[in-house]
Parts: sequence; C-alpha cells; structure tokens
Amino acid sequence: MTIKTTVIGAYPKIGEGLDGQELRRALHRHDRGEIGDADLDKVFDDATRGAIGEIEAAGIDVTNDGQIRWDDLLSPFARAWSGVEPGPLERFYDNNTYYRQPVITGPIATDGQSLVRDYTFAKGVAKAKLKAAVPGPLTFAMLTARDDHYRSIEDRTLAAADAIAKEIAGLAAAGARMIDIEDPAVVAAPKYIELAREAYARLAHAGHALALVTYFFPADPVLESLASFPVGVIGIDVRSRDTTAFDRLDAFRTQYVLLGVVDARNTRLETADDVARHAERALKLVPQERLRLATTTSLEYLPRDVARAKLTALVEGARLVTGEKAGAGAPVAGGAPA
Amino acid sequence: MTENLLPTTTVGSFGKPDYLTKARAQAARGKLGPTELEELERKATAEWIRRQEDIGLDVLVDGEMYRGDMVAYFAERLEGFKIGGLVRSYGNRYYHKPVIAGRVSRPTPMTVSWFEYAQSLTSKPVKGMLTGPYTLLDWSYNEAYPTRRDAVLALAEIVRDEARDLERAGATYIQIDEPAIHARPEEIGIAIEAMGIVTAGLSAKTISHICYGDFAAIYPQVLDLPVDQLDLAMANYGYRWLELFDRNPFTKELAIGIVDVHAHETETVDVAAEGIRKGLRYVRAEKLWPHPDCGLKTRTVEECVEKCVAVVEATKVVRQELAKVPA
Repeated sequence: MTIKTTVIGAYPKIGEGLDGQELRRALHRHDRGEIGDADLDKVFDDATRGAIGEIEAAGIDVTNDGQIRWDDLLSPFARAWSGVEPGPLERFYDNNTYYRQPVITGPIATDGQSLVRDYTFAKGVAKAKLKAAVPGPLTFAMLTARDDHYRSIEDRTLAAADAIAKEIAGLAAAGARMIDIEDPAVVAAPKYIELAREAYARLAHAGHALALVTYFFPADPVLESLASFPVGVIGIDVRSRDTTAFDRLDAFRTQYVLLGVVDARNTRLETADDVARHAERALKLVPQERLRLATTTSLEYLPRDVARAKLTALVEGARLVTGEKAGAGAPVAGGAPA
Repeated sequence: MTENLLPTTTVGSFGKPDYLTKARAQAARGKLGPTELEELERKATAEWIRRQEDIGLDVLVDGEMYRGDMVAYFAERLEGFKIGGLVRSYGNRYYHKPVIAGRVSRPTPMTVSWFEYAQSLTSKPVKGMLTGPYTLLDWSYNEAYPTRRDAVLALAEIVRDEARDLERAGATYIQIDEPAIHARPEEIGIAIEAMGIVTAGLSAKTISHICYGDFAAIYPQVLDLPVDQLDLAMANYGYRWLELFDRNPFTKELAIGIVDVHAHETETVDVAAEGIRKGLRYVRAEKLWPHPDCGLKTRTVEECVEKCVAVVEATKVVRQELAKVPA
C-alpha cells in the first residue's frame, strides 16, 4: 500500500512563459475594462484546469482546485459573506506575500454557497480525488483588521466558525467528502487553543471528513491538544521551523496525520530520499494507513516550475517508502486513494 | 527658529513616469538597449529631484527610477544570487524572487553612481538607499547557506561595504531598509547583529525603514537596532504603534508615516498634520521626521506629488503652531 499524497492551499496561478501568464494578462485587461466578467471567468476556469492537470500529472493522490480564484486565504469569504469586507493589506505571517485583512461591519452571515460553483467546476475536471478548503475560524478572527460588531476575539471566532460550518455544509451538499480547514493561527497563537477547540466543535456538527491543517509554525505547543479536536485529520508542517513533532506523533491515536514534508516556501529541492526519510521517521509512531504526505503549505510561494518539481519529489519519495519504483506521472499502484 | 524642526523626507521610491515604464518593458523584451534605458532613468531621476525641491522636501532621495524591486535590484548585481521565477506578492502583482544559490559577493558598488548623480543635481542632501541584510535574506530563497543567520551575516558584510562606499562618495544620510525585520520576531537578534556589522564606523546619519508587519512583536527590542533613526509606517496603522511608546519610551529619531501610500486618495493637510501632532507627544520636533508611510512606487507621479505636498504642507502648519508656543 502506498502512502497517499496531497497538496495544501493555493497552486501558482501563472507560469514563466508568455503562455503561462494568460490569467495575469486577463486580470489587467479586466481592470482596464477591456474584457468582461464572463471572459475573465473563462480564463480562471482554464487556469484551474491547468493547475489540476499539473497536480495530477505529478501523481498526487488527492488534489484541490489550486485556489486559482483566491487572492488570499480570507478574501473570498470577506467578499462573499455579509457583515465583512476585505480591508487593508497586511503581510501574511512570515511571508513576503500580502492579504486583505477582513473588516467586520455587522453580524457575519452566509448562504454557505461561496465555494460551491468553483468546487462543482473542479469536480468536473479532476480525475483524482478532489478536496475543498476553507479558512479556519481562529485565523479568520485573528487576522481581522477591525471589528465593529463583535465584542471579543471569542465572539468573533465563534461567529466565523458558524459561517465556516455553513460553507462546509454547502460544499458537502455539492459532493465534497474531504475538506481542509487551513488554520495557521492555531499554531501561531497557541494561547487560544481552547477557543479553537470550541470553534471546531461547531464545525464538527456539520458532520463531514475534516482536516485541520496548520502551517508555518511548529505544532509543538499544542500537539497533544490537537489530538482531541473533533476532526479526522491533523496537518502539521515539519519543515518551516525546528520541531519535536516527530517524537510525539503517537499522540494521534485515531486521527490521520497529514505531514508537510516538502518545503513549499524554499526553492531548495528535496530529493525523493529526503521525503522518504521524513516519512520513515513518522512511521515509527504513526501506522502507515494513517499517514499522509503533503507540501508544508500553499505551493504558491514558489515559482510554478519549482512547484511542479516539488510535487514530483513528494510523489517519488512516498513511493520510495513502499519500495515502489519512482516515476513521475505513473499511475498510483492500488488504484484510487481511499 | 522652526526650520530645523520636523525635517521632511520620503521613504525612497517614487512612481515612474509613463515613458520610463514603457521603456523598462521594452528593455525587458530586448527592444531597448541598456544605454538608452539608462538615459531615460537619468532623465526621470532629474525630474524627481526637481519635483522634490519644488515641493519643499528637506532631505531628498533619488526616487529609485532604475530599480524595480528593492531586493531583486541588489540580487541582480551580486554574485551568488540568481534571479528566480515569478511569485505573487498580492492581487495580480508578481515579482522575480531571488535565489541565494552560492556564496555571495559584491563585484562592484551597486548604488554609488546613482547617488552621485542625484546629489550632483541638488544642494539639498540626498539619502543613500540600501536594503538591509535581514530583508535581503528573508525575501530570497536560501539554497546556499546552512542557516538563515549564516546567510544574513554574509549579506551584512556586503551591505557594509556598499554603505562605506556611499559615505566615501559623500552621503551624509544612509538608509538601510529592513521591512522584513518582524517576519520572524524570534530572529530580531540576528537582524540587530547584522545591522551592527553594516553601521559600525559610519559617521553618516543611519536610518532603517520598517513597514507592514507586527511592529509590536519586536518592540522595544528593535530600539537596539544600531541606527540613528527608525522610519515607520503609521498612518496605515491608525498610529497604533505610538501607544507602545507609553510603556517603553522611544529613544531614537522617528520618521513618522503620515500619509497612506496604498490609498489613491491623498489625506487632507488637516489629517496629515494631526498625525504629526500625535508623533510630537512622544518625540521632540527636532527628532521627528514627517514623511509618507512607505515608498511611493505603486502610485502615479501625480499621486506621489500630492502625497508629498500633503506632508510638506502639514509640516508647515505644525511648525507654525510650534513657533507660537512660548519657549
């Protein structure tokens, strides 16, 4: 049995050559009023098709839609939800990449349909298993620039959780069986771990296979706490900083462990052996059927050609662990992932 | 005497005129030679020097007409770096993120001739403008050095050599920008150590610009950064960093951002003046430098001028108020 591989977050939206920059040009033309929304939508769809195609060609088992329409983790929701709007730019954690900080003007509400159109489109494109993603409630609450409505971080986090639960329900109704909740704040601000737990209890009521995905920071201060969160999968970045996680993975007794082993924030390329070595360390404490390998975070922090090479290293490394022959693009033995 | 109070300046970059933007695009496609491009860059630099004098700014900059990105410009001129592929910074904006692929070294000075040219056009002081070692590392991929600290300290020696060359060329103000300094607050000690290498032995006034990030996470440790002046974005943050100075008094000169560079609309003189008054609660007028929050390169030439005029006019208002206060 192969260790399954997946991606996290956003895939690079453009490539190097002129052919790869169609979306960039289309957005400029849309800004200047030279093309309409329908034309832009078509380019977004084409770029989504391209991203899914590359992820699948690398041999990744579970893909996402590459988040091609997302400016950042929070903006799609700050735009779609009532009571929120995208506000001033700020650096996204320790990256030279910026996001629009949400500004809360009233009670947060959503019909839960914000991502359904994109998910349905991707479903029609993807040949591999497809997962969806939403931002985590604590990250949404903590990265808010201004809140004119809720009186505390607690109220804001729980309100965001209720809105995210609706999005999860909407995605599930559209057929999503796996949903990543990208929540770096859980590890960036460990003092709020109990608040996060309360928020995730609301998400769990939506009743679907959820992955709590953390990145950028070590999970060390909260690792054992995460093991009691009501989610099926815990994602941990073991590359961005030093971590003791490898020695403590037995804390996860029932959950799947999604290990970020390929550094999505540095061009230094891992070999398949590097990937396999990380997996083998984890296998000392996690059984193979509950281990998943992934990039540490969004591959969008890398140029597209490097992103592709990273995915190939990830897949080849995963196959090495099970003694399979490496070979980019070869079909995954054992058929479709579980 | 109030002329020496509240000296005005800017952070470094200005919007490029249309003819230069077009020329750079042509040059990138190989349709315009380097000599022709440089001629236009010099023309645009001269125009910006004249505009700054007309506006009445006190300490000028060359406007960085010859730079695209504040890290890539240096990476392109240093050995050990290669220019990486395109990476998105936000929205539909992309940049070529450099890669440290080998040991870094500086074959020749990188900014000195531009400083000399800009300074030759004016009798007002022009700042020498450098990117700091911590930011050079943090905004590049590191494939070559075993640790981030190793890379930062190697880069510090390069920035030090460039700063010394600028001083030899006559620079009395040298700005070493560290906008990434709060990227990893646990590494503030590395940034301080590296800046110590850069500024040791300089007699020029040293400045470091810091923006976009959690300044509170590195305060008050950042007061140990060995520069004379910290240059901070404030307007965009609603001046909230000033509250930090209540508990731990600010001990350096403060260049205070009083207009938001990411808004198309220019603040009124009243709003900008109120920003200066806020700063005066914490820093004396001779140590408080009004300026825009950040480099103005994302604004049009006209917007840049409006923002700088707002800074200068607001400063005049507050200087008059200070003149009325009995000593």
